Amino acid sequence: MIDIKKTYKNYVDGKYVRSESGKTYTKELKNEFYELPLTSKKDIRDAVTSSKNGYKKWSSTTPYLRMQILYRLSEMIEGNKESYIELLMDHGFTKQKANKDIDESIKNIVWFAGLADKWEQLAGNLNPVSEEYFNISHQNPIGVVFSLSSSNVSLNELLMSILPSLTVGCSVISYSEENSVLALKFAEDINNSDFPSGSLNILSGKFENILDDVSKHVEINLVALHKELDNEGLKTIEQNASESVKRVFSQPSTEGFSSILPYLETKTVWHPKGT
Amino acid sequence: MIDWQYSESIESPDIVSIKKKYTNYIGGKFVEPKSKKYINTISPSTEELLSKVPLSNEKDINSAVKSAKEGLEVWSKLTPNQRSRYLFKIARLIQERSREFAVLESLDGGKPIKESRDFDLPQVAANFFYFAGWADKLDLSWATKSLKPYGVVGQIIPWNFPLLMLAWKIAPALATGNTVVLKPAETTPLTALLFAEICEQAGLPPGVVNIVTGDGSTGSLIVNHKDINKIAFTGSTQVGKLIQKSLAGRDVGLTLELGGKAANIVYEDAAIDQAVEGVVNGIFFNQGHVCCAGSRLLLQESIHDEFVKKLEKRMQSLRVGNPLDKNTDIGAINSKEQLDKITGLVNEGVEDGGELFQTECELPGNGFWFRPTLFTNVQPSYSIAREEIFGPVLTTLTFRTPEEAVEIANNTEYGLSAGVWTEKGSKILWTADRLEAGVVWANTFNKFDPSSPFGGYKESGFGREGGRHGLLSYLKASS
Amino acid sequence: MENIKTHGTSIEWSNVLEMVHESRIDSVGLNERVNSLATRSIKKDSKLEALNMIVSMCDLTTLEGEDTEGKISQMVAKAIKPNPLDSSVPSVAAVCVYPSLVDIAKKKVQHSNVKVAAVSSYFPSGQVPMESKLLDTKYAIDSGADEIDIVINRKAFLEGDYRKVYDEIVALKEVCQDVHLKTILEVGDLKTYENIRKASLISLAAGSDFIKTSTGKLSVGSSRQACYVMLKSVLDFESKTGIKAGIKVAGGIRDAKDAIRYLVMINEEMGSDWLSPELFRFGASSLLDDVLKQIKKLKTGAYQAGYYFPRG
Repeated sequence: MIDIKKTYKNYVDGKYVRSESGKTYTKELKNEFYELPLTSKKDIRDAVTSSKNGYKKWSSTTPYLRMQILYRLSEMIEGNKESYIELLMDHGFTKQKANKDIDESIKNIVWFAGLADKWEQLAGNLNPVSEEYFNISHQNPIGVVFSLSSSNVSLNELLMSILPSLTVGCSVISYSEENSVLALKFAEDINNSDFPSGSLNILSGKFENILDDVSKHVEINLVALHKELDNEGLKTIEQNASESVKRVFSQPSTEGFSSILPYLETKTVWHPKGT
Repeated sequence: MIDWQYSESIESPDIVSIKKKYTNYIGGKFVEPKSKKYINTISPSTEELLSKVPLSNEKDINSAVKSAKEGLEVWSKLTPNQRSRYLFKIARLIQERSREFAVLESLDGGKPIKESRDFDLPQVAANFFYFAGWADKLDLSWATKSLKPYGVVGQIIPWNFPLLMLAWKIAPALATGNTVVLKPAETTPLTALLFAEICEQAGLPPGVVNIVTGDGSTGSLIVNHKDINKIAFTGSTQVGKLIQKSLAGRDVGLTLELGGKAANIVYEDAAIDQAVEGVVNGIFFNQGHVCCAGSRLLLQESIHDEFVKKLEKRMQSLRVGNPLDKNTDIGAINSKEQLDKITGLVNEGVEDGGELFQTECELPGNGFWFRPTLFTNVQPSYSIAREEIFGPVLTTLTFRTPEEAVEIANNTEYGLSAGVWTEKGSKILWTADRLEAGVVWANTFNKFDPSSPFGGYKESGFGREGGRHGLLSYLKASS
Repeated sequence: MENIKTHGTSIEWSNVLEMVHESRIDSVGLNERVNSLATRSIKKDSKLEALNMIVSMCDLTTLEGEDTEGKISQMVAKAIKPNPLDSSVPSVAAVCVYPSLVDIAKKKVQHSNVKVAAVSSYFPSGQVPMESKLLDTKYAIDSGADEIDIVINRKAFLEGDYRKVYDEIVALKEVCQDVHLKTILEVGDLKTYENIRKASLISLAAGSDFIKTSTGKLSVGSSRQACYVMLKSVLDFESKTGIKAGIKVAGGIRDAKDAIRYLVMINEEMGSDWLSPELFRFGASSLLDDVLKQIKKLKTGAYQAGYYFPRG
């Protein structure tokens, strides 16, 4: 009996879509060949449109609700643990190593979920200005974040590249090249977790095809590269980004409180005190 | 108002099955009290007997504290992440069984189902969710490495928000690595004991949470137990002072959340209709059984008459009745004792010369009830303007200038909360700066959130519950 | 139904200005109050009474370019006998039509108590000179309209020319004389609660018998929040002048459940005096059918389908 093989598609705006180019690239896993979407420039443009809307919805979701949704994601992954382990083993992991990767993932989602309704208490503060003014600094999420995943196959690394920005309210376009099968499978659990559509989009493909478009796209507010690029590549991105003062981070830290800092914009408000 | 609109819409009590008798939850098990004594708990809206719960004695408390110490051994060896997961699990379970808890809360305590369902229970779950997320990131909370849990904490809670007060106590205590011995109020023990079932369901290690019931003597035993490292108490200022005295000379941590006589200041440039709503909410929410109730209405003289007229009209539409009726706004007074206290103070108010307004509404035959009451023409020296009534009674005072408002507001030994109503931003900030109150509500009232610290100045107690600051109530600086 | 009493008097402009400038509303607090009123639930017997009351408060409305004599005839028949199989269901309060359909409507309502209301003043935009507004109002009245629904001059209001808004309504009321005047605020254009309150007070002071939320021609119609602001304005106006004015909510009241929420709010905030077609109306087209469905469901215990009830 021939098994029905899963088709992996991009996950954009809460829906599973093929690349508009119709093109794919191949990944071999345990004697099976998978065709994965070869994301095109137009796909990126569509993803950004979706992420813009997703950002509006996600950033206006209450921190409490964001925490609940992220926690639910951990529940989903916990429930699908077996299938993740199987997939990681298809990639060559030992069962033990696969188990560890999933456990770490869940632990980290729970950590970030519990941060969603607290980080503002740690990042913002009242400023003791010297005049009779109430002065407070607080942070807003920066907007649409493009995140290039590392080339390592790992659910935990994938999650860590997404969680800091997502937790504080940014919408994220997560792009994977080598880790794409895992990433597109992960999209299914996102779909089941009540995330507003467009808050988290998952795409696969070859980064060199879209490098230019991503770094020039004005509506992408921040580019986070979790993969080491060659000097030329990084330089091109940074040069293109400068045209719209886009923020670029190469291999930003993904752990701990400081991991959220790149994704925040600080706003300071003054108000007089008096009768 | 046509009365045809609001025939009864009763929430069925069938969802919760109340046992004839409950026992203490110690060391992960339900155990009979060594005292062999029980006390009754009744429904204040019907006076019918609901169940009986242990009247715990010294042996029971010793047993509970011993279990808490054993539980501490286990709890402290878990990773922070593991502690976090337990709390998340408890939060989820409470969410699932919310309706059951809400009905039980209304039956045992008398508060309207509308409130237990829409306010108490969601807040309970939210508190466990919020503190679950601190358990694995305490190192971030305060820029110091020297904060450590106390160890075994004794917690004594009141009858006005039984399950919510339990959540305010247990969630942060566990998140910070402590274990607890908690005693619910004598008249409202049932939701705490049902919560013990949640602990079981969540697989919480034995001894981490211990629930013992009893009366004042039981509380005293907890306060005086030599193996308890910290006491957290919410209740009357009178008892709070006794506890503070008992702990003198001993190295035991203490936080107190006591009474209040909050001023609700309404300036002439307030949004009047919304201020009326806020004032009504401030004193009649939960029958006025709220430590932070806005029990003193401070009205700018220029708007006094207009405001009082609107207030009286608005009060008239408050429905007093069966707590399980979804249309009830004001439920039963928690006990005969409390009802007598309220009645006494109101009579004093009338004798002193205050002008009394009470709404016209029918009261059920059985049970403990009090009509929404408003006093005007009150002098600051009257007892109704100084003493905490803890009932649906609002006292009105007037002021002419902002400075005077602040002076009157602060002219009390209490300092828990205050309200400020004005559409002028700078006046809000100016006033808030000068109010001696731990919580200031501007253009709103009775707003709570697990992330928002709550607690008082002066004789309303010390220490904060909720938020990043609330963690400090359960962490001590170690050298 | 008796002829609606009109108050016919207008208030001095200086007093109006004072009331208008005292308009301070906190929208967060207002929303909380409106939402808490929506948690009231009423039981079966009361519900039936409420549903019948809603029918009697409806102004059955058609305001389309494609309205014809045939359409009006059909609607009036439904207005008089909403459910031909159930005579306990009352007639609606009025039918509401464009001026050119008033005479046919008037002819068809002859042997009933249903009134004929006409929109005028260049409904829905009102963006024409005053002469035109007076003309189409006069035309509607001459054709026999019992009630007139006008729109306020939003252009003038949003430009801050409150006096002009006031003067126009006074002039239109002058034309109406004893004919009952409803003034449409168009809350969707006014946007803020303060604006709605100001427009309400100006309209009431200028002599309106009713203030009405919307034309129904914008995507934003009535809301319970807007109605709350208006009812507070009506109460404050009554407190200052002794005059009781009415409220009509129109546009976006989708179903019976929503309509009942409005009645609950009116009952608790204003009292039973306002629970009458004399002082409260629903501008309805699809609402009526849902109410009829709910009435039948209460009586038979089964959920109903739309095809049981005649088209209107």
